[in-house]
Amino acid sequence: MITWYIIAALFLGVLAGYASNMMGAAWLNPIFSDTIFNLSLFALLFLMGIIFGMDRQAVSKLKETGFKILIFPFTIVLGSITGGFIGALILGTDIFAAMGVCAGCGWYTLTGPLAGQLFGLKWGAIGFTVNFLRELITIVAASPASKIDRYAPVAMGGATAMDTTLPVIVRATSQDMLITAFTSGFIITLLAPFMITAIATLAG
Amino acid sequence: MLSIANSLVLVFPLALGILIGYFLRDRRRLNIDSLILGVIIVLIFCLGFSMGSNGELLAVLPSVGLTTIVLLAMTLLFSIIFVKAARRIAKA
Repeated sequence: MITWYIIAALFLGVLAGYASNMMGAAWLNPIFSDTIFNLSLFALLFLMGIIFGMDRQAVSKLKETGFKILIFPFTIVLGSITGGFIGALILGTDIFAAMGVCAGCGWYTLTGPLAGQLFGLKWGAIGFTVNFLRELITIVAASPASKIDRYAPVAMGGATAMDTTLPVIVRATSQDMLITAFTSGFIITLLAPFMITAIATLAG
Repeated sequence: MLSIANSLVLVFPLALGILIGYFLRDRRRLNIDSLILGVIIVLIFCLGFSMGSNGELLAVLPSVGLTTIVLLAMTLLFSIIFVKAARRIAKA
């Protein structure tokens, strides 16, 4: 039920954004994309923090996992890059550019411009779309994916697991996933620009 | 939208929330679930808005279709496979 509200909000948002651009109301853009976006993100993290802090079980479950949560971000980045490698083999396209684009792990506002600069315009566009759709699919499919593996939504979310997809991931799994998902997204956010640049350097 | 510095700042509201939640523990259960849902709706709407108003993004979608679909599917698939394998190895 809640998932449908979220999908409806996303759909209406896309329509409203598209309509505002068509009608030339570009001034609305920074208000929604920056001001309200950032304010609601701050409020959301604060509120989700309160719920987590109050939940005794969530804290004890997290203690059980302990430092092992650090495994996830590194594994997710490696898995994403491997996916790019396999994908490039299937397509018969530039392997390094494909790995670089996939190393973005859902962070499309970074990967689009960065891949465009490093691998050329076409890959900038692909960097945009692959990571943009990764975020979108995580929002829509976190719940069914959690049945494959408890941590699958965190893996899908990649870098976005610390912000936009965090509430969806927690709702699809459980309260104790809050810190795991946030930490994973946080570390991937630090790794992504470094990995994309490193892959471009390897490509020469 | 988010830059690295911007993302790092997100630790503060989360940590503050957890701290406050910790001290509220023994109080009567505070019900903020519907408030959270409201904020999620606003956030996702804004995310949609920034996607929909990004003409550049929407314009390139059709021309890079096949590459995007294959790379997206593979990157999602392997990130899940790797996490599943790592959990088995590390018993996490």
